[in-house]
Amino acid sequence: MSSAVSSSAVKQQDRVSLYNLSDITKTMESGGIRFQLSVPHLNIARGEKIAIIAESGCGKSTLLDMLAFISQPTTSDQFEFYPSALTDPVEVDRYWQNNDQNSISDLRKSHIGYVMQIGGLLPFLTVRENINLSRDVLGLPDDGTAVELAQKLHISSHLKKLPGNLSLGERQRVAICRALAHNPSVVIADEPTASLDPFSADIVLKMFVDLVEELGTTLILASHSWQYVKRFGLRRLSQESRRDSTTRTMFTTIKG
Amino acid sequence: MFLSIPGIFKLALKNYLHDWQSSSGLVLALASILGPMMIVFGIKYGVISGMITNLVEEPRNREITAVYSGRYSEQWFEELGKLPSADFLVPRTRRIAATIDLKSSSAPRILHTELIPTKRRDPLLPKIVIPENSDDWLIVSESAARKLAVNTGDSIDASISRRYRGKLERVHLTLRIAAIAPIHAFERDGAFASVSLLQAVEAYRDGLAVEAFGWEGDQRDIPVNFTGFRLFARSIYDVADLKRWFNEQGIEVSTRFHEISTVQRMNENLTTIYWAIAVIGLVGFSMALGASLWVDIERKRKELSVLRLVGYSTMDITCFPLIQSMLTALLGWVLAVIFFHLVAAIINYLMLSELQEGRQVCYLSIEHYFQSFLLTCGAAFLVTLTAGLRYANIEPAEGLRDR
Ligand SMILES: Nc1ncnc2c1ncn2[C@@H]1O[C@H](COP(=O)(O)OP(=O)(O)OP(=O)(O)O)[C@@H](O)[C@H]1O
Ligand SMILES: [Mg+2]
Repeated sequence: MSSAVSSSAVKQQDRVSLYNLSDITKTMESGGIRFQLSVPHLNIARGEKIAIIAESGCGKSTLLDMLAFISQPTTSDQFEFYPSALTDPVEVDRYWQNNDQNSISDLRKSHIGYVMQIGGLLPFLTVRENINLSRDVLGLPDDGTAVELAQKLHISSHLKKLPGNLSLGERQRVAICRALAHNPSVVIADEPTASLDPFSADIVLKMFVDLVEELGTTLILASHSWQYVKRFGLRRLSQESRRDSTTRTMFTTIKG
Repeated sequence: MFLSIPGIFKLALKNYLHDWQSSSGLVLALASILGPMMIVFGIKYGVISGMITNLVEEPRNREITAVYSGRYSEQWFEELGKLPSADFLVPRTRRIAATIDLKSSSAPRILHTELIPTKRRDPLLPKIVIPENSDDWLIVSESAARKLAVNTGDSIDASISRRYRGKLERVHLTLRIAAIAPIHAFERDGAFASVSLLQAVEAYRDGLAVEAFGWEGDQRDIPVNFTGFRLFARSIYDVADLKRWFNEQGIEVSTRFHEISTVQRMNENLTTIYWAIAVIGLVGFSMALGASLWVDIERKRKELSVLRLVGYSTMDITCFPLIQSMLTALLGWVLAVIFFHLVAAIINYLMLSELQEGRQVCYLSIEHYFQSFLLTCGAAFLVTLTAGLRYANIEPAEGLRDR
């Protein structure tokens, strides 16, 4: 409850933008089937906890990839990202248009933590090294953050193992630790618990959201499941999808 | 923006070691292409350079001999000696007069031997110091030394006979064996001696008095015309030049010019054939190496995508496979060199009996090792760079989820 209060407080008082998007589309086509995601407007404030709840194939991952700067919008009117509360926004779509990969990867390594639905760990690094990867790329030393995060997610006994020797749920927790280890502005999680059984899924997600709240990190979570919205006090983005059979296109609109 | 070289190097190395099976597979594949190529090159190089060395080192290949005897003045010798193509030149006296009878204390037989004029730096007598300013010595041929049972430093009795004023006369002189000539320098019974000694022998036979040796006879001046010469060109490539000079003078000479040019032509042809094979091999090598490295990068797409996801730069991502393929190139090359040495040692051992001492059928020079290393790294670098850049240009999101 307290978190719901604080997030509404953010909304009403000085709402500090993190993302500010308008008229973004992403079109993909394969095998004669088209998919188009439209984002008429999307504004996400710092510290918010966002949920994208939609069925499979509706474009959740597509949106998250754009928000994580690993996928280029097909068309865009405005795609602003605020690296800090005090600075001017950067126009990420300009970077894409200029193919400025270095600026994009700089932005990504400093500000984004990404948890994939499955995988995303390097099989040749130990758990500890995998967690520290997001710090290494920034040149940050191993200051014990990795161990601390691992303790919070109950995987500290596995720090020396390779990911191949962990259960799926444990691997997801390693991925969560890595996404948070460099203290990013936003952690983006694409159905982080979808590969787990419902019981473990609940436990892992609970630990994840608690941790995010504790750190004050912005969270953007994609999920099939409605129940989490209420339970974790998430703000759900509105989403609708329709199929046009004449053009064999699936349109999805996400806004909020 | 900056390239985190230590970081990406460590990651690339860890990945390389973790995937040791595929890494060593690549190294072996590379070595198995490169090794045999080095063997082929080594044999070609060894055989050709052996042939060239034989050609160049065999002094007889640069010898020029007159077909008929003539009359050559001292001035003529001076002129010939000044030609840049001429290396060693001594005059010859009449062959029929250039003989001597040798008798050693350790052998019963008197040996009738040919005399061959020589002087310092005779190509047929390498490593032998030929006395100067004295005429009381001989360098006997191997066969003569054997029959006379003499050694270097021994003294020997030499005698010359002539028919003078209807009487048979003989003079004796004691000569020192300065050295024994190597077997291929002169295969019959013979002795190398100073030009003055030969001139004296010729004069004595002609019935003249030779004061220097105290031989009596007609008191006339010893003529300084020679009937022949021993001439060696500076190198096998100078033979043609000298031959031309003689032809201009109307002197017929015989040389090994044809044999030399045959080997030279053969060398050129072999080199052409070799390069054709080498180029084909090189293209095949690059393609095989390229294909394996390309497949390797494709296999590593997932890992590379994860690196991109956490924010490693395009440069880092391109370096990751580059570091690994350089490592593959280095290890593969080292392995190929080891393989080459083993096989070359076996080949050289098997061919030992066919070869002159110190020669090898299969070997490479330092430059070849260097070149093969650069070539391997270059090919690996180009392929990996192409594959890496191609990969760096696709969207990071792609390749992240496909498996
Ligand atoms: N590379 C691609 N090329 C063409 N179409 C694609 C591509 N990737 C995804 N799609 C299509 O885009 C649509 C949205 O995909 P997306 O992965 O965003 O869905 P999702 O909501 O994340 O689904 P899920 O819940 O199953 O993960 C799907 O219909 C899919 O078929
Ligand atoms: Mg998805």
